[in-house]
This record gives sequence, C-alpha cells and structure tokens, in this order.
Amino acid sequence: MEAVKSLRKKYCPTAMFIAIIAALVMIFIGHKDLARGIVLGTLFSILNFVLMGASIQLRVQRTRRTGAMIAFVLVLLRFGFLALPLVVSIYYDKYHIVTTIAGLFMVQAVMLADAVKKLVLSRPA
Amino acid sequence: MEMDIQILVKLAAYIGGGMAIGFGAIGAALGEGYAASQADMAISENPEKSSDIVRNMLIGQAVAESAAIFALVVAILLLFIAPQDPTIVTAAALLAAGVSMGLGALGSGLGSGFPAGETCTAMVKVQDPKVLSRMTTVMLISQAVCQTPAILAMVIALMLMFVGFGGPDPVKAVALLSAGLCMGFGAIGSGAGSGLPGGAACQGIGRQPEAQGLLTTNMLIGAAVCQTPAIFAMVIALILMFVNLGDVPFNPYWAAFMGAGLSTGLAAIGSGYGGGMAAGASCEGIARNPKTVGVVTTTMLVGQAVAQSPVIFGLLISFILLFKGYGEAFALAPGMALLAAGICMGFGAIGPGIGSGIAATSAVSWVARNEENAGLLMRMMLVAQAVTQSTAIYSMVIALVLLFVI
Repeated sequence: MEAVKSLRKKYCPTAMFIAIIAALVMIFIGHKDLARGIVLGTLFSILNFVLMGASIQLRVQRTRRTGAMIAFVLVLLRFGFLALPLVVSIYYDKYHIVTTIAGLFMVQAVMLADAVKKLVLSRPA
Repeated sequence: MEMDIQILVKLAAYIGGGMAIGFGAIGAALGEGYAASQADMAISENPEKSSDIVRNMLIGQAVAESAAIFALVVAILLLFIAPQDPTIVTAAALLAAGVSMGLGALGSGLGSGFPAGETCTAMVKVQDPKVLSRMTTVMLISQAVCQTPAILAMVIALMLMFVGFGGPDPVKAVALLSAGLCMGFGAIGSGAGSGLPGGAACQGIGRQPEAQGLLTTNMLIGAAVCQTPAIFAMVIALILMFVNLGDVPFNPYWAAFMGAGLSTGLAAIGSGYGGGMAAGASCEGIARNPKTVGVVTTTMLVGQAVAQSPVIFGLLISFILLFKGYGEAFALAPGMALLAAGICMGFGAIGPGIGSGIAATSAVSWVARNEENAGLLMRMMLVAQAVTQSTAIYSMVIALVLLFVI
C-alpha cells in the first residue's frame, strides 16, 4: 500500500502545518481557544484519513456488494470517531467549536487547495 | 407545561440529530461504495495500475465524505447544545435543522462518488502520469462543486438552530419544519446530478487529454446550472423562515406553508438530477469530438433550461401558496386542499425533470456525433421535452384547481 503511504505523507503534514500556523496566528491575537480548536479538529481529520487508508486493504479485491457493505460500516465507525472533538469542544470552553469544525475539514481543504493550484498552473497564460 | 415543552425540544433535537446523520451517512456511504466498486473493477482490468487507482479512490472517498461530516457536525450540535428559549417553535426549528442537513447531504455524498468512481475506471488505460494527475485534479474540483447543495442545506440548518424565531407560534413552527423539508429535498437532485458531469469529464480526460480545458469548463458550467433547483429550494426555505405574514390563523396557513415547502423541495429533485444528466452527456460528447464543443454546450444549456421547468412550476405553486392570503378555516378540508396542492406539484414534477434530462442526454450525445444535424436534433429534443413536461403541467393544473376552485 505504497500509494496510501505517499498520500499520507503528502497531505497530513501539510494539513498539520497549516493548522499550527493558523493556531500561532490565533494565539498571537489572543484567542487561545480558537487555536486549540483548530489543532484538535485537524488532528482528528488526519486520524480519520489515516484510518481510511488503513481500511482500504479490507475493501479492495472484494465483490461489489461486500465492498459497499464494509465501506458503509467503516463510515459509521469513523463518524463516531469524528464526533469526539466536537463533543469535547462543546463541553470544554478551552476549545472553540467553530475552529474545531473547520479543523475537521483540513485534510479535504488541503486536497482541494492542491487541486485548484494544479488547475490554475496548468492553464495556458 | 413548562416541563413538557422542554422535553419536546429535547426530543426534537434528538430526532433531528438522528435524522441528520442517518440520512447524511447514506449518500456518502453509497458514493464511497461506488468509488470502491469502480476501483475494484479497474484493478481487476489492469492490476499494474493498482497504485494509482487506490490513491485516486482514497482521495475521492475522503472528499465524498465531506457531506457526511457536515451532517455529523449538525447532529452533534443538535444533541449537545441546549437551546436558550424552549418553545414549540424551537422544537420545530431543531427538527427541521436535522431534516435539512440529513436530506441535503444525501445527494452530495452520492454525487461526489460518481467522479471518484469514473476516474478510477478511466485510469486503467492512461499511461501518462501528467494526465493521471489532471484527472485527479478535475475529479476533486467536480467533487467540491457537488458539495454546494449540502453546504446550502448546512447554512439553513445552522440558521434554524441559532436564529431566534420569536414566541410560541404554531404557524411559525410548521413554516420552519417546511423550510427544513424544502431545503433537504431540494438539495438531493442537485447534489447527485452535479456528480454526473464530473464523472463524465474525468472519463473524457482519460480519452482526450488535450481537451482537458474544454471539459473542465463545460463540467463547471453544467454543474453550476444543476445547482439552480437547490437555490430555488433555498429561496423558499428562507422565505418560510423569515417572511413575517403577521398574525395569521393556524388553519389553513399551516397547510399552505407545508405545501409551499414540499412543492419546490420535491420538484427540485427531478430538475436537479435531469440537468446533471444533460451535463454529463455534454462532457462525454466533447470528449468524443472536441470540435463540437460550441454546439454541444448550447444544446446542453437549452436541454438543462427546459429540464428546470418542473421546478419553476413548483416554485410558482409555492409562491401562490405563500402569498395568496386565506381567511380562517374551521373545517379541515380547505387546509388539506392547500397541502395536497403542494404535494401534487412536488411529486408530479420529479418524473418530468428526470425525463427531460433523459431526452436532453440523448440529443446532446447525438449532436456530438452528428454536428450537421444539430438543429434538427435540438428541435427533436425540445419536442420530446415538451411532451415529457406535459405530466408536470397536469400536476400544476390539479394544484391550481386545489388552490382556486376547491
């Protein structure tokens, strides 16, 4: 599963890097709760993506129906996992709910930003 | 009584939360399952490309999951955030928020799976790494566009949760519930339909890498037009939430508001998906023959415009239901007639929207093969779409009879 590893290496550190930079900016302007929220959300976004990759072995090389069933069960399991930072941010004021939510989409945001960058660069001047 | 309302609000929040993630998970799971099944097929066809295919599948699945994460966020907020002012209106707003987000995420999750799956199958025959990279890029862009209806549904859900809608007015409670249903249903067709041009564009880039620019532009135009029914649904949802009609009697206004939401919400399903079908055929046609891009895009846009007619009928009935003005009714029948008008128009428009999309799909596809006869094919498409629309017109006639005669 070299492909999955390369994806992890490509997107996860970038997502964490962006979250840390954003958190530093937020701390600098005096909003520690925002900073904690974005780091927490991003951490779980990355863990979700890592789990997704790890579960691929279970899904590929199976029949269409089995693959779809396994995918459905895994989606439900990972949703339970993604709910954790949201619950934490609701109960503890140290973590801001809005930045926690934003952090949960960090890996996807990095992927889309990468795609937009490629699309813009591929266009003739 | 105070305690009863608090329990009612909690119940509404829990049911809303359950519906948000319950429905929201369906679309993403189906989309991800579709991507995985197409990846399976592609790997079995060319095992040497398994690394690229798995990579693409994983990225596609991660983005397809976004709609379900929106639903998860709304569900958690519904379960754990205590409302400040527990009234029947708050209960209705929380339930509506769950319905809006759950149904709204369904289409986007499913639609995002189409580009992911189609890219996996298209990768089988592509050797150039640059082309593979371009396919993944276009897949991601099209998946992002697919998320728009789910984002609209989330915006409505968050407004329902956090905006104060005043005192315990039962008519307002029904209006909010209707707003949630309208946005939720209205996002399904557009979300699922937007994925079709994305999938076809990715397939097309695999076949005609040099047409990447044309395909991306066409995909974006087609997918943007697909979003129109979801925007109509959002407009009706916002009117239901924020327009103050003054002190109106419960009966028959409850039915008029519920009917207004259902009319546009349900009607948007067919038009959204039908428009996506036409856009998908257009991308496929351009990949087949890039020189026909002008005429194919024109035919697609005309086909999509006509496929929007059923949702416009739905919108018209919604506006009449909302703004006609009614006296207080003491019997149930007048209210039920208004509700029936909305249901009649909403369900009656689903088939014609999809049917018009099928007619446009065929015409667009053949225009790409036979450019010389584009005019004839477009006329045939318009005639076929007009015939398809007749059933929506029947529904509208019955809805108008229910509104003005009964």
